[in-house]
Amino acid sequence: MRFRAPHEHEAEERAWQVVGAAYAEREPVAWPRRHVRPLAAAALVAAVAAAALSPPGRSVVHSLREAVGVQKAEPALFSLPTPGQLLVTSRKGAWLVHRDGSKRLLGRYRDATFSPHGLFIAATRANQLVALDPKGNVRWTLARPAPRFPSWTGTRTDTRITYLSAGRLRIVAGDGTGDHPVEAGGRGASGADTATIRRHGGQSEVVARGRVVFRGTGVFDQALWSPNHRWLLVTWPTADQWVFVRPGTPRRIVGASRISVQFGGFPRVQDWCCGR
Amino acid sequence: MAGSGRDERAWVRRAQAGSASDFEALFRAHWGPAYRAAYLVVRDAAAAEDIAQEGFLAAVRALDRFDRRRPFGPWLHRIVVNRAIDWARARALRPEGEQVDSPAPERPERDEQLFRELAGLSPEHRAVIVLRYLLDYTPGEIAELLELPRGTVNSRLRRGLDSLKERL
Repeated sequence: MRFRAPHEHEAEERAWQVVGAAYAEREPVAWPRRHVRPLAAAALVAAVAAAALSPPGRSVVHSLREAVGVQKAEPALFSLPTPGQLLVTSRKGAWLVHRDGSKRLLGRYRDATFSPHGLFIAATRANQLVALDPKGNVRWTLARPAPRFPSWTGTRTDTRITYLSAGRLRIVAGDGTGDHPVEAGGRGASGADTATIRRHGGQSEVVARGRVVFRGTGVFDQALWSPNHRWLLVTWPTADQWVFVRPGTPRRIVGASRISVQFGGFPRVQDWCCGR
Repeated sequence: MAGSGRDERAWVRRAQAGSASDFEALFRAHWGPAYRAAYLVVRDAAAAEDIAQEGFLAAVRALDRFDRRRPFGPWLHRIVVNRAIDWARARALRPEGEQVDSPAPERPERDEQLFRELAGLSPEHRAVIVLRYLLDYTPGEIAELLELPRGTVNSRLRRGLDSLKERL
């Protein structure tokens, strides 16, 4: 059967960027010979124990698959590998991406941020600061000239949104009341566990916790930690991919491709919030 | 196309030893069949790309433990086709009105209807037909790949083909 799937060559090149990078970053296991026999014995004991503990009907092949570390397929490929929800913006507006990969276009907003517990979203459009629920319903609006970069902080009972408008920093309560300008004083210390993108030559790399955790060709745009600080999301416009990297041992990489098609342009991640 | 068994074993061996060019040869040889198989099961190019890519990322993770005496292709195809079936099932449960990609223009005219009708089969039936007639696995090999009884593979092949015949 002669058959070529759509976009086969482009898909191959995009995938090679991620797969090749994952191969380049892997840490080969070099087993000293003297460990082979004890390990074989341990593996045999483990296999017998596993067989004894396995529920009836569980296939040997399935056990083997687990033993070699091939994970069970996720129900949807474009799902987040860790609890939480993403807020992203693209040419089409602001999107809420749920863990299972389903996504909702909230509307034509430029910036968006979660409330501290992820129950609401503050977003901006031409001349409005808007509070939304996760279904995109508007809870309140505040007319201000060209509001940008909202940041919603506080506790469950007392929250505030800071934002820029007409070159001034302003603050408003989470219920939309008491809006007033403030002197710029900073939001406080940024998280110590940051990830940095370095570029040299035609390569980009992400450095986190003192080591390079992912490297690839072209430009990385953002590197953000998941809410539980276990996974890094690296956005990679050159490859049109999002790459989720879990540093540590064993390191894991999960890619989501053709991001531009899915969001109507390569999106910018605004916020990643709240294990759920 | 995939290289000969000897080429492939050499690529795997050298890739395990750290040769990026041999790993790339392995990737290039197997990308097409893996991507096509995923595409024919899920009928969505973006999902197929993710699925095939995930298969290769799993290969990277397991490369050091891979038994070089075994062929690489069936191992990869098992991951890819199982994931494709899972994806297609999940999408059937969560219809989002997603756009299905149009067929590739270079495909011969007479195959158009066949591939369209293939999409009408269940993911399970599609998978066995893709493995049998696109990737040329025997029913016994398919049974092993998908961890199914041989009789189930045969009946899915028969029902899938009957259904295609009726539709065509």
